Amino acid sequence: MAAMTNENMARVIEFLQENKNRGADDVSLNDVMHLAEVMSGSMHEVLSAVQPGVTHELQLIAGEISRMKNEITSLRANDMKTSKIPDAGRELDAIVEATESATDTIMQAAEEIMSADTSDPVAYQEFVSNKMIGIFEACTFQDITGQRISKVVATLNYIDERVSAFVEQLRIPEGLEVQAEETEEERRQREQILHGPQHAGEGVSQDDIDAMMNGSGSQDDIDKLFD
Amino acid sequence: MALDLQMAVLVVDDYKTMIRIIRNLLKQLGFEDIDDAADGTEALEKMKQRRYGLVISDWNMEPMTGYELLKQVRADSGLSKTPFIMVTAESKTENVIAAKKAGVNNYIVKPFNAQTLKGKIEAVFAD
Repeated sequence: MAAMTNENMARVIEFLQENKNRGADDVSLNDVMHLAEVMSGSMHEVLSAVQPGVTHELQLIAGEISRMKNEITSLRANDMKTSKIPDAGRELDAIVEATESATDTIMQAAEEIMSADTSDPVAYQEFVSNKMIGIFEACTFQDITGQRISKVVATLNYIDERVSAFVEQLRIPEGLEVQAEETEEERRQREQILHGPQHAGEGVSQDDIDAMMNGSGSQDDIDKLFD
Repeated sequence: MALDLQMAVLVVDDYKTMIRIIRNLLKQLGFEDIDDAADGTEALEKMKQRRYGLVISDWNMEPMTGYELLKQVRADSGLSKTPFIMVTAESKTENVIAAKKAGVNNYIVKPFNAQTLKGKIEAVFAD
């Protein structure tokens, strides 16, 4: 039986030694794939002498590992983690801040108009006009938040495209995905029936709710609403 | 039970702007004694210290949801008769059924208008 060459053996030992020096807790997916590449390369000569058919299989495995490395690189995960996702988070924070500020300005103006002194019609008219201009100005947030939302949507599309391509390349058979354990947050959402706002046409309307509140609330009553 | 504009109303919502909107709408309807709480826990504490004639509560809040608040209010013999209106974006059928089973007096889905709020308050006190 042919033996693994000294050169190949040295490559495997060198890799394992380097890994050991870095500490056992610092093994990355890239390290594992690299080791697999080194091992398959090292065993190539050994096995080709014993079983030539296995060589082809090893070449396929090595090719697959190489392809996976390229796919992982094209994910640009570091770019997502350090740039794209934090940027999107900042945009969303800015949107929340802008809408809160605009809402506060508009409500403040409305409250001041409602409680204004109406005894002097001319002064009241001027006061209301000034407050209305303030409301119009506050509404300019809409344009800026629209642009910010477009940037967040572009980021989501960027991530979606790369992750979808990666998942496709993994060729995971259907049904192989592991059912994740329910988190504390998911348990709370289930127990407290928290779905969040529904999209138009998804939830029940106020009229449907009124009918349910006025009926017995039985499943039959609910079913009637959807006949 | 008759509608009394002098009664204290407790508005429960974790979104300050929504509290402000409901407070202003209630003022327009003639209510003057309006208090607020940021979640179910704070609301329950306030309800144990003071008698409220009406509770208007959001559903999705932390740590205690409006749904949990409703169940605790109905389970408390001293508070169980308090009229309770849910005002929420949770508009799935199962939410409405669960709220009704828990004893809610009326249910308003966000976004809503002043007329809807007025109509539901009047309906609660007409029952």
